[in-house]
Order: sequence, then structure tokens, then C-alpha cells
Amino acid sequence: MFKNYFKIAFRNLIKNKVYSLINISGLAIGMAATMLIGLWVADELSYNSHFKKSATIAQVYQHQSSNGDVFTGPAIPRPLEFALRQDHNDNFKHIIMASWEQPRYLKFGETNIYRTGNALQEGAIDMLDIDILTGVKEGLKEVNSIMLSESSAKTLFGSDTAVGKIIKVNNEDDLIVTAVYKDIPENNSFSDMEYIIPWKYYVTTQEWLENARTSWGNNSFQMFVQINDNTSMDTVTSKIIDVKEKASPELAEFNPEIFLFPMKDWYLRSDFENGKQSGGRIENVWLFGVIGIFILLLACINFVNLSTARSEKRATEVGIRKSIGSQRGQLIFQFLSESFLIVVLSYVFALGIVLLFLDGFNNLASKSIDFPWGNPLFWLASLIFIIITAFLAGSYPALYLSSFSPVAVLKGTFKAGRYSSLPRKILVVLQFTVSIALIIGTLVVMNQIQFSKDRPVGYKKEGLIQIPVMSSEFLGKADLMRSQFIASNGAMEMATTSSPTTAVWSNRSGFTWDGKPVGFQEDLAYTEVSYEFVETLGAKIIEGRGFSRDFPSDSLGVILNKTAVSYMGIKDPVGKYLRDSDTDIENQNPPLKIIGVIDDIIMQSPYSPVKQSVYVFDTNSNGNFYNVRLNPEKSTSENLEIIEAVFKKNFPNTPFDFQFVDEEYGRKFRSEERIASLARVFTLLAIFISCLGLFGLASFVAEQRTKEIGVRKVLGASISQLWLLLSKDFITLVVIALLIASPLAYYIMSQWLQKFSYRTSISWDVFAIACFGALLITLITVSFQAIKAATSNPVKSLRTE
Amino acid sequence: MANTLLKLSQATREVQSGSKKVALLDSINLTVKEGEFISLMGPSGSGKSTLLNCIGMLDSFTDGGYTFLGEPVHSMKEKSRSKLYKEYIGFVFQAYHLIDELTVQENIETPLLYKNVKSSERKALVGDMLDRFNIVGKKDLFPIQLSGGQQQLVGIARALIGKPKLILADEPTGNLNSKQSTEIMDLFAKLNSEGVTIIQATHSEANAAYGSRIINLLDGKIVED
Repeated sequence: MFKNYFKIAFRNLIKNKVYSLINISGLAIGMAATMLIGLWVADELSYNSHFKKSATIAQVYQHQSSNGDVFTGPAIPRPLEFALRQDHNDNFKHIIMASWEQPRYLKFGETNIYRTGNALQEGAIDMLDIDILTGVKEGLKEVNSIMLSESSAKTLFGSDTAVGKIIKVNNEDDLIVTAVYKDIPENNSFSDMEYIIPWKYYVTTQEWLENARTSWGNNSFQMFVQINDNTSMDTVTSKIIDVKEKASPELAEFNPEIFLFPMKDWYLRSDFENGKQSGGRIENVWLFGVIGIFILLLACINFVNLSTARSEKRATEVGIRKSIGSQRGQLIFQFLSESFLIVVLSYVFALGIVLLFLDGFNNLASKSIDFPWGNPLFWLASLIFIIITAFLAGSYPALYLSSFSPVAVLKGTFKAGRYSSLPRKILVVLQFTVSIALIIGTLVVMNQIQFSKDRPVGYKKEGLIQIPVMSSEFLGKADLMRSQFIASNGAMEMATTSSPTTAVWSNRSGFTWDGKPVGFQEDLAYTEVSYEFVETLGAKIIEGRGFSRDFPSDSLGVILNKTAVSYMGIKDPVGKYLRDSDTDIENQNPPLKIIGVIDDIIMQSPYSPVKQSVYVFDTNSNGNFYNVRLNPEKSTSENLEIIEAVFKKNFPNTPFDFQFVDEEYGRKFRSEERIASLARVFTLLAIFISCLGLFGLASFVAEQRTKEIGVRKVLGASISQLWLLLSKDFITLVVIALLIASPLAYYIMSQWLQKFSYRTSISWDVFAIACFGALLITLITVSFQAIKAATSNPVKSLRTE
Repeated sequence: MANTLLKLSQATREVQSGSKKVALLDSINLTVKEGEFISLMGPSGSGKSTLLNCIGMLDSFTDGGYTFLGEPVHSMKEKSRSKLYKEYIGFVFQAYHLIDELTVQENIETPLLYKNVKSSERKALVGDMLDRFNIVGKKDLFPIQLSGGQQQLVGIARALIGKPKLILADEPTGNLNSKQSTEIMDLFAKLNSEGVTIIQATHSEANAAYGSRIINLLDGKIVED
């Protein structure tokens, strides 16, 4: 029986090559797109799956409020560790203090490399199941020690043993390698951790770290914990929520709340809005999941439409089979097995497409997904996928085709009724609604990115590089380097900053000024800069001036940005004072004189308003970055050569590392650009699949109306009239789809845009482009068949009757 | 005296045409005995095909009684009705109605599939049938590669493969030339002599004459038996 069904199905496939091609290629492309999206979703959902204890691991987070807004973040103060260990230790298996991930120079012999890593407490090795390859698990107990990842060790020591060797870190301290651990695989929170240094060592490296030991106001650290098995995140959170508030009543006005942020949410649900968890990447997972399902649906609709449109051809077979004893159930089964066959064939092609394009897709999505050949779960999912697709595509045609009455179809008078094409029309409208909505959505995403890119950044980011100089060997060398850079003609100007131009690493509160409203809790972006900061960046002075060597008193000066002036409510700011009211260091900090106001420069998100910022003179020459304005009269590569040479002359043992500021700024758009390029690809696929179906339907209609066209032609209809006749119906459907898709897409995209405070509006031209594009594509698709039918010789078509 | 195969009493088939009811078959009374060869005659639209379809259970009477081998068809469920005709009835059509995508052999085999006959047995039965009709050489051809007469031969072979008691033939020679026509009618006569009951609808007096009984229909009524 099966054999008979498949034989018929197979012979039908061969006989109707065009339809088979449309069906199989459409389904294959749709399935491939859905599989790629599926792989992507699975990859996103498997983030951090490397850590076996992920269910009990959390990072300690903190809510703080100021002026009614709640800010949430992972930065916590050092004394929190001692408070938790003392009063709440029985809830935790591990409490791990950690630094921020930071690059350091690691030097052995002549090899000096620049690698990213963390300072962690000993328990981390057990908590994160770090796989020690050689050396000892307890290595971090030794203060002056370091653990290296396998690849870092390989770069430093080649095939030699690493454990026991002494390496120089940041050209300052000698640390002994106590262990080499297996690289943490990608797609995990600690993937970039190329070395681990002991927390005990880290806190000795700088004075402020030691001072932070008792400072509840210095939120500069991270803390990871593993809770005991017999408790829950919520229970522990409820116990520790007020630890900070109780310990430091003077900070109670910020209403600090300590809570556990579970590992499973780190990657996918990391957004907080006013103290409430509000999604994150999971929204993209949903978005693309839905797009994947829609694309599959579009391909299935093609199958449904073409099968039912061609029903008249299959009707006789249905009639014969019924007259020789087939029951309806058996016919339904036959047609379902036919769609099953086609779906399996399509799946094979889809696999090929996925294999072919996986690299490109990885590139597009910034992923490194391997094809899961060896994963039985993948094959099981594939099987379910095939069955679902076969049912989705095959069940309506099967029910429809098997319903024919044998008497009617065998008499040869069978014609599908007047309304039989209605479901088909509805499905075409659905297809185009999805495609058009995707077009509009993609256009809006692209517009938003362009809109934000066009936003003035407030400085000249082209021709500017930043050189990270975070180790002590650079201390006090800034002026020397500046004069050498300028003298070498490779640079026009140079200034140091404590944060890169494209980020804010420090926020401060605790200032007072004349006219500060009572109870106002300011939150200021805080950057320390050197003399030529304004000149180097090319920032725009609105009032006053920048730091100048001509005014020695400028070392106690401060520059505000425009937003800070209105935020703080200072009238005529230049000449007024900003006093540091922080009790710990009051004596060291005389009041700061406001010497100038600059136009806002975007250091953080290009989608958000610029934060109120203060730029304070760096009295300790302790800048973390050299910002170098390249000489515009030379080429970039020439400039870089010169600057590297100057750098090497002064720091022969340090690798020259730098970033282009405009590239760093461009990174801010990466996640949105990724969405845009993925959306673009899937939109194109959706359109292609819809058009494929339309093409099939158009050729069917043209074939069905051959006789009518012949008669009309004999009666004198022109080719353009016939073309209009055949295209009109389809155009109507697309117009209906446009009317449905436009408000729908408008609504969804307005919601999406809500998450950007600096956002484009959805203008009419987006709809105009979508409208024009959809109609044009439809016309081209349909016209091919229409013109072919209209230009055919009527004598031929009429003779066949 | 032979057994009664089927019996119609006051059998009526009505269809709705606009607001009016039109009777395609009007109060037909008919008894068919096993081994009869009946020719239905009458002009186009007189109800010949409808009567065949209703007897063949592809269609059903809207009123009246229909018993087949003593079982009341009119009160049967779809499933048992289908079982009944699968077992006892074979159809032969004017337009042959072979499945284009299947070969001669596969076309003949299809009814057996629906009767869940085992594969080995199917092969044997189909082989016999091919032999009997002298079309062994054509078994792997597709319908489109055969002449009309040969196609109808396959159609009859397909109708016979299930060993039916009754063959219903709707103008079986309507699309054939006279030579092919004669061959097919001779075949029917031979089958009838082997015990198969046949009811054929035909326009041709000559073909009707093969039957042992001629029934004339006009406007859905039997006018002459």
C-alpha cells in the first residue's frame, strides 16, 4: 500500500517538474531558514550550560535609587563580603569576590602578551568547575601566583611546562604559575578569562583597593556565590536584601538592596528597568523564533495552495480510487504520505543548504555554531520537525482532495466551485502580510540604526586612537610621551583619560554646590583627564575654556558637560565651585572650580540621552588611556608606524596595543546591526518564498484560463488588457495584505522603538517603500506567466478543446 | 432459479435544483438475479448513469428501499456499505478512468490493496488476470501508451480482479471504434457465461442485444422491461 502511494507521489513529482521544483525548493529554503534559526535559538538558550552548578550559582547585584529612579547593577562594595561571611555564611557553599575582567601584560623571557583575566577567590575553581590540566587546584591560595588558560600558557611557554615558572605581570610583579586550566568554551560568561590571579594578590596592587575594604560607598567589585542545595535564590535574597542598608545608615538614602541574580538569567534576561527585571536578549530569541515559524508557515502555504489549486488534476484519481474501494481515511493517508515524502526530500535539501550557509550565518550572527551531527537530540528534533511540517503542509490538501465525490469527478463535469479559491486567496494574503510586515520591520530597524549613527557625537572620533596604559610602568610618562608623539609628527595632540572615550568607568556622587536642592541625590559620570583633553578630542567649548597649562590653578578645575549644567541647576556655572563632601577624603579634596562647559559627547549608549558628566583634572597622572589625535596630513598607516616606533622606544618590552576610537564607537551598534542583518536575510527569504508560491499560482491560473484567453484574443483583446486581466486578482490580494500588514507592523515596531530613548519616528516613506516594493515584486512575478499566456497563439489553445 | 442479487423498491433519487426538487430516478422497482446480463437503455439524461451509480453505492437513493444480497443498503452506515461494494461490485467506465501514474499491472492491482490482500497473493491474481486478457506484454506500460480498447481491457481486468458478483458498466464502448467495441462486448458475454452478473448502460442497440434483459428508461422511470 505504502509502495503504491509513494510510487504515485514520486511519479507525480517527476511529471510536474515546475510544481515539484516550487514545492521542494520553497519548503527546503523555508526549512533551512527555520533550522538555522532553531540552531541559533538553541545556541542562545545553551549559554552558560558549560557550568554544571549553574542552577545554584548567582551574581550578587544591587538596586540603588536616586531621585526616584532605581538603578540596578553588579557593582558591590568590598565590606559586603565580610558581612555575608560573618552573618549569612550558612546559606552559601561559596562566596567569591572578583575583580572586573581586565587585560594585563604577561611576560616570560622575551615574550610579552596582553591578555584578559580576572582576580578571583579560591572557591571559584570548584564553583565554576574549572578544569585543571596541570598544577594544583588550590593554586590561588598562594598570594603571588597566577593560573593560565591552556592557550595563554601555549603562547607564553610553547610546549614547555608552565607550572612552576615565574612570569612578570604588568611589568611589576613576579607571579608563579600554579596551574594551567582548559580554556573555557565560548558561549559562556567566563569565556574570555585567559588567566586568573588570586584576589588576595589583586587587592594589594593598588592603595585604593585596600582602602575600599571598609568603604560601603565604593561599589567597585563583583561577587559570585553558590548557594546551598537546600535553599533557594529567593530565600537567600530575602535574608541579605538589607545587609548594606543596616551596615551603613549614611547610605540609606540610596535605599540599597542586595539580591542574587541567578546564572540562568545572566545572558538572556539581564535588563532591569526601575528595579524590575525586564527581559533582555530573550526578546530577540522570541522574535527570531517567531520569524522562523512564520517562514516555515509561508513555505507550507505554498504547498497547500499549489496542491489545492491543482486539485482538478488529482480529482479523477480520487474518484477512481473511491470507486474501486478506497475509503476516505485511506485517501487522506495517501495524500499525507505524499506530503511526507516531499517534506523529507525538502529536508535533505535543507540540510545541504544549512551546511553550505552555516559559516555565513555564523558570521552574520557572530556565532560559532557547529553542525550538531553527533547530537541525537538534533535528529530527534529533525524528525519531529519533519512530521510537523508534513502535517502543516499536507493536512488541508489531504482533507480537501479526499472529499471529492466520485460521481461528480468521474462524470468529467467536475469544476471547483466559485468559492473554492477563497481559502487560497486568504493564504496568499497571509503570506504577503507576513512578508510586508517583515519588510517594514527591517526598514525601521535599519532606520533606527542610521538615525543613531547620524547623531552628533560631540567630538571628532575619526583619526583618533586610544592606547591602553594601565600598568605602573606608564605612570608619570604621559607628558613625555605627548611631546615625543607630537615631535615625531605622527600625532597632533594627546591627552590621557581614566575611561575610554566610548565608556564611562566611574560614577560619583557626594558633591555639593551653591543652589543644590535639598535632598537631591546626584549621580555624575566621572572622568579624569589631562590638559589637552578638549583639544585632542575636538570637543566643543560652550562656555569658559578647557584645561590649560597656562593656568596652574586648573589642576583644581572641572569641566561640565551641557547636560550636567541643566541637571545640577547651576546658573552661569563658570567660576562656581563644586565641593566634594565625601567624608573619607575631605581633607585631600579642596573644592573644584568650574572652568568650562563642553557640548555633550556620547560616551555611552548612542540610543540614550548623554549622561550628566564631570571631567576632572587628573592630578596623579594616572590616566588609563592615551588618546592620540593622528596627523591628518599623513596616512593612518604612516602615523601608526611612527607612533608605534615612539612607543617601542620608550617601552621596549610592552606590546603596542591600540584601538581606533571610531571603531570602538561603532561597536555600540553591533547588537542592533546584527539584528538588522539577520532580519534582512530572513525578510528576503520570506519574500522569495512568497513569490515562489505566487509564481506557481499564477502559472496555474494562466493554464486554467488558457481557453478564456484564447477566446478573448480572437475577439480582439490586446496583450496589455490580458496582462491586466491576469494580474489584477493578485494585485488585489497584495493590496489587502498591505492594508493588514501596515498597521500591524507600525504597532509592533513602535513597541520595539520604545526601548531606545533616542529613536527615529516611523515615517510614511517606510510604508511607501514597502508598498511600492511589494507591488513591484508581485507584478514581476505574476507578469511572467501572464505575458506568456497573453502572447501565446490562440489557435493552439482553442484547438486542444 | 438463480438467487436474487439485488432488489430496488420504489427507489428514488432527487436533487435540489434551485427551489425545485427534480427526480433523477422516480420510484424504480427492479429485481436483479445472479447471472443476469442487463442492458439499460434510454436517451441522455434518462437516468441510466444515476441508476448505475446508486446501485454501485457511489451515490445513494434519497427514498425507497435497496437490498443487496439480502442486506438493506439504504439503512447501512458508510463503512459497511463500502465493505459491501468493495467485495461484490466492479466498475467499468466509458472513459476507462485508469490512474495515469500507475502501470497496467499496478492499476489492476490497486483494488486488491484496498482489500488488504497479501502481496504474494496479489501477484498471483494480477498475473492470472494479465494472462487471461493477453496483456502480459503490456504490464509495465502506462495507460497513455495504450489504445482505447486496450485501456478498457485493463479497466475490465481491474474491475474483475476482486472477483465481484456484479459488474456495472457505464457505456463501456462509448469511446471505442466498432472493432474494439465488439471485442469488449464479446468479453462481457463470456464473463456473463462464467457467472458474473452484468449491468451495462448503453446507447447502442447492437450492444444492448448482448444482454439477456433490456430495460428502457425515460425521465427517471422504467418504461419497458
